[in-house]
Amino acid sequence: MSELGVSRSDASEFRRRFQYLALFVLLAFGVVVGRLTQLQLLEGADYASQAHENIVRRVPLPTTRGVIRDAYGKVLASSRPAHNVTVVPWRVLLSLISGKRPKALQDAVDTWPRIADVLRLNPDERRRLETRIREACRTAAWNDSPEVRRRSACYRPLLVREDLPRDIVAELEEHQAELLGAEVARIPVRYYPYKNLGSHMLGYVAEIDEEGLARVRPPGYEQLSGEERQKQNPLGYDVGDTVGATGLEHAWESSLRGSRGWEKRVVDAHGRYRTEPEAKRLLDDPSRQEPLAGRDLRLTIDMDLMQSIDRAMRAHATGSVVVVDVRSGRLLALYSKPDFDPNDLSGGAGRGRVREAFEKLSRDPLRPMLDKTMTGSFQPGSTFKPFSALAALEDRILDPEDHERCDGYLTFGKRLFRCAHTHGRVNMHDAIAESCNVYFYKLAEAVGMDRIARIAHDFGLGQKSGLGINPEAAGRVPTRGWYALRFRGQFRLGFTLNTAIGQGDSLVTPLQLALAYAALANGGTVYSPEIVRAVETSDGAVATDFAPRVQHKVSIRPENLARVTQALAAVVADPKGTAYPARDASLDVAGKTGTAQTGYIASKAEDPRRAAFYAQNHAWFAAFAPARAPEIAVVVFLEHGGSGPTQAVPVAMQVIREHVRLDAIRGHRPAPTATPQSPGPPLAPPGPAPAASAPNDNTDPADAADLPEAP
Amino acid sequence: MIRGLELGGRSRGDGPRESFDWVLFLVSASLAVFGVVNLYSATSVVRAALSDLYIQQVYWLVLGGILATFVAAIDYRHYERLGYLVYGFGLVLLLLVFILGKDIRGSSRWISIGSFSLQPSEFMKLFMIVALAKFLHDDPRSEGRTLKDLIAPAAIAAVPMALILKQPDLGTALIHGLIFASICAMMRIRWKSLAWLGGITAVALPVIWNFVLKDYQKQRIYSFLNPDTNIQGANWHEHHARVAIGAGRALGEGFMKGTQNQFLFLPEQYSDFPFAVFAQDWGFVGCLILVSLYISLTLWSLRVAATARDRFGAVLAVGVGGMIFWHAFFNLGMVTGILPVVGVTLPLFSYGGSSVMTIMMGIGLLMNVSMRRHSSAPTLGRAGLSIRSR
Repeated sequence: MSELGVSRSDASEFRRRFQYLALFVLLAFGVVVGRLTQLQLLEGADYASQAHENIVRRVPLPTTRGVIRDAYGKVLASSRPAHNVTVVPWRVLLSLISGKRPKALQDAVDTWPRIADVLRLNPDERRRLETRIREACRTAAWNDSPEVRRRSACYRPLLVREDLPRDIVAELEEHQAELLGAEVARIPVRYYPYKNLGSHMLGYVAEIDEEGLARVRPPGYEQLSGEERQKQNPLGYDVGDTVGATGLEHAWESSLRGSRGWEKRVVDAHGRYRTEPEAKRLLDDPSRQEPLAGRDLRLTIDMDLMQSIDRAMRAHATGSVVVVDVRSGRLLALYSKPDFDPNDLSGGAGRGRVREAFEKLSRDPLRPMLDKTMTGSFQPGSTFKPFSALAALEDRILDPEDHERCDGYLTFGKRLFRCAHTHGRVNMHDAIAESCNVYFYKLAEAVGMDRIARIAHDFGLGQKSGLGINPEAAGRVPTRGWYALRFRGQFRLGFTLNTAIGQGDSLVTPLQLALAYAALANGGTVYSPEIVRAVETSDGAVATDFAPRVQHKVSIRPENLARVTQALAAVVADPKGTAYPARDASLDVAGKTGTAQTGYIASKAEDPRRAAFYAQNHAWFAAFAPARAPEIAVVVFLEHGGSGPTQAVPVAMQVIREHVRLDAIRGHRPAPTATPQSPGPPLAPPGPAPAASAPNDNTDPADAADLPEAP
Repeated sequence: MIRGLELGGRSRGDGPRESFDWVLFLVSASLAVFGVVNLYSATSVVRAALSDLYIQQVYWLVLGGILATFVAAIDYRHYERLGYLVYGFGLVLLLLVFILGKDIRGSSRWISIGSFSLQPSEFMKLFMIVALAKFLHDDPRSEGRTLKDLIAPAAIAAVPMALILKQPDLGTALIHGLIFASICAMMRIRWKSLAWLGGITAVALPVIWNFVLKDYQKQRIYSFLNPDTNIQGANWHEHHARVAIGAGRALGEGFMKGTQNQFLFLPEQYSDFPFAVFAQDWGFVGCLILVSLYISLTLWSLRVAATARDRFGAVLAVGVGGMIFWHAFFNLGMVTGILPVVGVTLPLFSYGGSSVMTIMMGIGLLMNVSMRRHSSAPTLGRAGLSIRSR
């Protein structure tokens, strides 16, 4: 007992405090219980759904892109599986260490060297990949948290080789157990069995670019509701998706693409799929939505005819051929040269290959990516003359039986307008058949530019045809108004003279010209061109069938049209006709040749061979057959191909002959009979035989360059 | 139970001399059983090397039980003489950490002995409690204490805290401070001194923030203040623990069915976050039972303190009770997101040898004080002579 009255063992100092301490304890745990009430009872449902979201992931199921077939069911574009190999850097990192390993790693298997062996990587590639793997894992550590693992490149599959051959795939799959970390991914790749043939109309596919993706997935897209996403991005594009880049692939993207499905799968925090039954039980319904395969396209194109055209064009470097059914506007062939292999551009063989292919294509001076049936427009030359003639007939400006005198030139003001030939006395029929410029100069003088332009317009020239598979040039049919804008009112009659013979500022696309000649052939109906005949479901049922669409009927009196088509028949059948020497007597063809001067002026520094090529004229032949009951219209255009009669006509004849032969094989109609269409010298062999002179010789006997205004 | 606190004034010596404290035993045993069962669920998904942690935990509990039996068997009044000695021993161990310590993730807290490691800072809590009990036992006051009177006990707490902060181990240092504060709360302190204490704390906090806390510790506090940001990064633990708890809802998803743990969204599920696993497995009902057990244990230790024979026993009981309370409260608070994340274990739930043994020995001390509340003299040895003063 101390003097203070407090014992050492007396606990009374503390006694009163215990109640407060107990109260404090109860309060503190009360807060915890309150928090648990909030989390588990009040907000429990939210957290439960969050926990569910954590482990359930919607995995997209791929869809297959629609198949494109020609009119007879030949496959032009489809998908094939490609095998790509990826490795997860983290899983092969240890096996990268060669030579003497630290003791702890002695057991690490030789995964990477074995992968490299199986994939036949060359030493360069192997070193490059090893550097990338090391680089990816520079900051990685064994105890990285799940969120680091999800973001770091070290844990994500790294593409090692694309589009493996089958035998290597088989080898990889056989040794799967020893090659941990390497994985074979099957991805669909677009495949074009005809390679280059028809590449412009088919187009190619490419990975969607950032710009395209940003259009359908603007910032904040992830936060949108499902419905708004659907509205914003109806086709459901995502990073890395394939999208049609040009041609039919691009224009019919929404039909071809199909829609992705999804499947719910259970994932853990490391992003691994869990497949045990307990995990699967956690999936809520519906757990799967089947993908919808893309629609197939049935084209109007005849691929056999395309192959014939390719053979017929073998001698020519650049140009295009259009074949159209005059009774429906359906395109039977749409051929442009030079072409490209869409397989190289569609990513099947790897990104490196795509880049290489593009570089090569962009260096080619003949511009293989340009669709010369519709994206490029060119001076039509004499193929334009029928429309000038119709303008004169329609407005009764002159009597077609009146003769004009051709001295080989026409002086107009101070200038001299030349003809290829001294034709003597010609009427309209002769002028078309023999392609006399002087007759048309005089006709133009009388008719005037705007009347010609109106008729040409009526036939669809100078405006887009609306096929819409590739960017289309409108072409140009100049009018006084256009010249007024262009040259500030200094209109000269010379412009009109050049326009009448398809020179000067006139431009057409081969597709336009084919449709216009189809209208000449069928009595004046201008069709909207059609290339997709039907959209079909993947099991072959027709989803949409497209009937021919008449764009409009031209307002031309039938007798005027008949007069012009008779003259066009004479171009081939009359011994004096420009196409006569290259005709095929077994075929009944009407048409008009054209040799258009391009006005190309070579610079002195230019390679003379190159300059010589560009100095050549464009060769044309626009035709329809059979002349008496027309079925098809054909336009052959040879860019800097020289003379129309000697170069373009033989190609067209061969194409028409092939078309007739193919039709016969298919039993659509009897084989053509070999009866000559008109009296005249024996059948000249097609080909260059009649064209003895050099192709760029402007004094070509038959249809020399439609010479425009000369200074 | 509150009523029990009033029993403190009951006459001594006329009851049974020693009585086994069944309440303490049963509450502790229930917690230990729950803890092992939960650990089984928590580690059922981890790699092979960790999957038998629950067995090891049983070993630690058995070893801790044996130690607790020893601690309880010897009359606690004998420990009084050893008070400063064990304290000194603890400090030596803490210093040894700096020499022999294993560096794990930027801090060294362990000493390896053979194949297993020892965490001296855990045991230091008990040593500090014994030392403080001894000091207060020897320094009885009837008047309120002044600030000067608190300097010595504050120093007893401050030295190990400083050493532990140096490791650095903010959580354990904090627990030391809170145990000291709990013991202080029992003392009569003058209001003026209390005001001073408040003032000093207010000044000390910014100093600690700027000069003591490490960047990652500050980051945790920032994270706590903004819980919904950076879920992928710094707030991963808290976020997914909170989701696990909430997803348990009223009745839980069932034993070993909590998805957050089964699919690996809860790192540290066996050390700092076992409660999240428990909460999703067993729901609000299970949590309520668990929290009641901790409340029972804490309040029971206050009752033991209130009925203790002497000041030494009372301070021991309050110290151990405080230790259990602060561990439980801080861990639950951190896992439920009402307190920042500091690595504080949940008593008998978290895996860890040093932690389990410390708690078990603490319970042994409680048992000791509780058993001997009616006995007038030590039942063993001559030390009792010094206590017989009345």
